[in-house]
Amino acid sequence: MNFLPLWRYQNQLIDGAIVTLELTVISAVCGLLIGIAGAVALKGRITQLRWLVRFYIELFRNTPSLIQIFIVFFVLPTFGLKLPAFEAACVALSLYFGAYSVEIIRAGLDSIPRSQVEAGACLGLSGWQVFRHIILPPALRNAYPAVTSQFVLLLLGTSLASQVAADELFHVAGFIESRTYRSFEVYAVICAVYFAMAMSFKALFAIIGAVAFRWPRRR
Amino acid sequence: MALVEIRDVHKTFGKVEVLKGVSLDVEEGEIVTIIGRSGSGKSTLLRCINALESVDSGEIRVEGQKVHAGMPDLKKFRQRVGIVFQAFNLFPHLKVERNITLAPLLTGRIEKAKARALAEDVLTRVGLADKIDAWPEQLSGGQQQRVAIARCLAMAPHLMLFDEVTSALDPELVGEVLKVMEAMAKQGMTMILVTHEMGFARNVANRIVFMHQGRVWEQGPPAKLFANPETPELASFIASSK
Repeated sequence: MNFLPLWRYQNQLIDGAIVTLELTVISAVCGLLIGIAGAVALKGRITQLRWLVRFYIELFRNTPSLIQIFIVFFVLPTFGLKLPAFEAACVALSLYFGAYSVEIIRAGLDSIPRSQVEAGACLGLSGWQVFRHIILPPALRNAYPAVTSQFVLLLLGTSLASQVAADELFHVAGFIESRTYRSFEVYAVICAVYFAMAMSFKALFAIIGAVAFRWPRRR
Repeated sequence: MALVEIRDVHKTFGKVEVLKGVSLDVEEGEIVTIIGRSGSGKSTLLRCINALESVDSGEIRVEGQKVHAGMPDLKKFRQRVGIVFQAFNLFPHLKVERNITLAPLLTGRIEKAKARALAEDVLTRVGLADKIDAWPEQLSGGQQQRVAIARCLAMAPHLMLFDEVTSALDPELVGEVLKVMEAMAKQGMTMILVTHEMGFARNVANRIVFMHQGRVWEQGPPAKLFANPETPELASFIASSK
């Protein structure tokens, strides 16, 4: 076992880790917005829209994410939409994360009792005001643990983007391995990096959760 | 013209006809208490008055305006008609101050600079000025209900509806809520209450409405109604609730 030959690749590893982080955060933010919009649509009155969202959820939760990335990267160009590897991976992973987020957020919204909606409406608030100020904050709190664990899955899933040659951590690892022939060492190192990133995010989410959701839980 | 005019209102849930032709007038400044057994339609009637439920037939007018769920200025209407619920329904993620000021701010009733003063004012009226920075969960049931009342008062309603507001409270907490309501009654607020608190109904209300099987069975001033019920149904209800 010899880790020394990896030393000169430390800059590549750091760059790869940064791309992985970018991929994760961008896809998570976009996916979360898709999740909120999708959950609202699922609870809305437009039947066709509900069907469309349902179809989207099932499509993305029941197909391999690797193929989703391939389709965005290799197939969309034939329809005139050509995206670079990183952007293509962002689009595919956002849609993937969004599909799970819709269900998580919807469950969060469902956890808020109807009486809260009534109380808001009875104070003369509009539907949007009730949603934004009364439903959404506690719903997000209830959805938060599931969202964060899905986020970690997304972080680990970004390694799939290596297959369209996005310069993320796993892709960089393949490159270093081909140069050094130190398979065990390379993969041990990036494993540790993924592990450290995942654990750091967990700690970060715990802090964010404590700050954002300060109100005491129901007894 | 009465503040609230209810004319021959019918309401059905599924196959159950809950309201079978209810008519009732409530004058400005009046305190009307609706009593009756569970399932007699009293809460439904109350919920129809601020369009939480829509009536199947008949009509309800408040300040001359016809009330229904699709009315054009429903939001404005609801700002004038406060309702307090059995389960308090405070917003758990907002501190007491924000619970109170959220609606006045969002509806443009007050400016941001005056919000805290408004919260202090209405909290003082329910005796909870010191709880302005508390979370709802840190309060007792009685305190939560008084905040809920304060939240309504902050909208300066013309009419207040109370739906069994003491039913979810421990017995020792009922008194503090009734005291607040009694003070509001003295200040001339028009109030319609559904309650099981016969003492309150007897001492504070101007008029008792006894509902039975979806109808207004009997009504009148408390002293007369409790002393000389005309119908056997009311007599047995009074006997059973002593």
